[in-house]
Amino acid sequence: MKQKRMYPKPRTKEVKVLKRSVLMLSVLALVIAGGLAMVAAEYVPGTPLKVGFVYVGPIGDLGWTNAHDKARLIAEATFPWLETVYVESVAEGQEGPVIDDMIQQLGCDVILTTSFGFMDGTLAAALRHPDVIFGHCSGFKRAPNMMNYMADFYQIYYLNGLMAGALTKTGKVAYVGAFPIPEVKRHMGAYAVGVREILPDAEIHASWIYEWFSPTAAKEATEALIAAGCDVFAFTEDSPTVCQVAAESGLPSFGHYSPMYAFSPDYIVSGQIAHWEAIYLDFFAKIYAGVFTAQNIQDLDYWWLLQEKAVEIGADPGMFINPVFEDALKAVMHEDPILGTISVYDLVMARYAQMADPSMVYDPFNGPIYDRLGTLRVPEGLRLSVFELTTMEWAVDGIVGPWPGEPE
Amino acid sequence: MSWESWVIATLSRTLAYGTPLLLATLGEIYAERSGVLNLGVEGMMIIGAYAAFSVAYATGNPWLGIGAGAIAGGAFSLIHAFACITLRANQVVSGLALTMLGLGLSGVLGRGLEGFPLFSSLRGVTVPGLHRIPILGPILFEGQNLLVYIAIVLAVLLWFVLYKTRIGISIRAVGEDPATADSLGVHVARVRYLCVLVGGVLAGVAGGYLSVAYRPAWTEGMTAGMGWIVIALTIFAFWNPLLGLFGAYFFAALFHLSFRLQAWLAPELLKMMPYALAIVVLILVSRGTLQKRMGAPSALTIPYTRGED
Repeated sequence: MKQKRMYPKPRTKEVKVLKRSVLMLSVLALVIAGGLAMVAAEYVPGTPLKVGFVYVGPIGDLGWTNAHDKARLIAEATFPWLETVYVESVAEGQEGPVIDDMIQQLGCDVILTTSFGFMDGTLAAALRHPDVIFGHCSGFKRAPNMMNYMADFYQIYYLNGLMAGALTKTGKVAYVGAFPIPEVKRHMGAYAVGVREILPDAEIHASWIYEWFSPTAAKEATEALIAAGCDVFAFTEDSPTVCQVAAESGLPSFGHYSPMYAFSPDYIVSGQIAHWEAIYLDFFAKIYAGVFTAQNIQDLDYWWLLQEKAVEIGADPGMFINPVFEDALKAVMHEDPILGTISVYDLVMARYAQMADPSMVYDPFNGPIYDRLGTLRVPEGLRLSVFELTTMEWAVDGIVGPWPGEPE
Repeated sequence: MSWESWVIATLSRTLAYGTPLLLATLGEIYAERSGVLNLGVEGMMIIGAYAAFSVAYATGNPWLGIGAGAIAGGAFSLIHAFACITLRANQVVSGLALTMLGLGLSGVLGRGLEGFPLFSSLRGVTVPGLHRIPILGPILFEGQNLLVYIAIVLAVLLWFVLYKTRIGISIRAVGEDPATADSLGVHVARVRYLCVLVGGVLAGVAGGYLSVAYRPAWTEGMTAGMGWIVIALTIFAFWNPLLGLFGAYFFAALFHLSFRLQAWLAPELLKMMPYALAIVVLILVSRGTLQKRMGAPSALTIPYTRGED
């Protein structure tokens, strides 16, 4: 019996013609695309500007990425000539293709990458596209068309530390850190400096979760720290989990990056809120005016702090300190060599005014400061330079717990 | 820091964190015992978490939320069941596709709910009287969720059903040799559908526990890979619900300890334990005689049709 065919007989001649035309069409398409890509011109000042944002996490994280996205929306609403696009949850190491896509398919004139881990990928892309302007957040590598920007919290963490030192009953405060990179270490160091200013023997317990975003890890780390006796919590993690967990045990905490007051209205003391729009509005306006181009931003490093209003203290915009804790902070008195005997509340206000002053009368990292191994890191009468701040690996005396990368 | 408070704190957190692991593992054990590999646990957990949170947020009733999570997880698993049992598609591919679907869908749907605290969460209960028992009292009876107790009871119940009842024998037979089971009158497709459904429902409840009781909040991607640990746990538990109970709590303890012991042990070491242990178990049970007694169900991932070999 003749075996029935499984598939119809292939029509070889038609198939050959089809294959050839598909091949020719794709070659043509590639040539056109390549030509268009090469023709991607440098931005002309005064014309509509298109900016692409590369995010490391989801915009709904209520942390780092959420703050960037809110700033993006403010910038878009402020400048009628500005158009923005974004890609979220880009894994570190995957930014190269995303950036190329944004430039070639979407025609972006400016690319902003918002994570330390995007540093090398952004630099490589900047060298590949010398006519496009790049901005890398929280890093330190630059190029003629790549700048750095950072709205840093270390001054605010110092103020939060002052409050923590006044509110702790066990003498042990905690900080749940993400990755042991200089940025996080700097924040923990400023926090420790503040805590120890009020309570010279306080312990600042450090715990690392090795993720920027991991609510379960943050929860377990916080529970472990509570079990170890800590009673005031600060953290670097892109969700309000630490505040929630601390609130469940009736313990005070400080928010991080985005307003987290709603998650713990009775127990959140203060926090840090980022206003990236301060930097974005300045940067975009200057590009539009032709001040910044793809050739002259090699030395551009936005290191913006309280005085530039790039950061704000509080757990909710406009709420410096949670009113629930005002009396507690006013009740604790502190002896300061210059300001005399004042309450911690007044001390925080005074220091805030000193640091927000354009001449930055006060800096938390003013000497003498020793690291926890005994080395003098900031001599008396000196402060830390921006470079020393952005490459800080040492632990301020008083920090307890693992400290990966600690210099001997 | 007395050893007593160390033990109490660690075990108490173990129970809290181990419950979603346990619930999802019990479901996955049943699914795999019937011969269907369900790699979509992560997707079912997160869609359950989203459904539970949104319903609990809208109605103010956390138990309704858990119920919604169960239904969502179950509905998702029916897609997997239909693809694998009726259409006889590749089970690995179907499971992975559902994981990605669950993660993406929940992210898109949940966008509007990010940032809202849940005031009607499932709070812990403290059993009066019993919580004063030294050591065991604070661990078991203070501040633990009802779902913790339900999970333990469910583990014992499901173990009993699987090993001591006719239904259990049918399930295991379908997973080992569906042709023989079919010839004895067991409806293979129906048994497999039910088991996959059980798997999906329990995964959905586990996800709901995460968003309504454990945190409680909704964030995109909040399961953070727990589904994969569940799959490793099923292997580590030798497909036995009681061993799954101990395995879930063991892994949960490791996770909690990775933070407490951070000063002495690299946390990466403890984090990789669940997967490393699953590999060790796989190696052990893959040798000859052990495979028959303690290994994976023989017909796992193999679709069945009457008349085909």
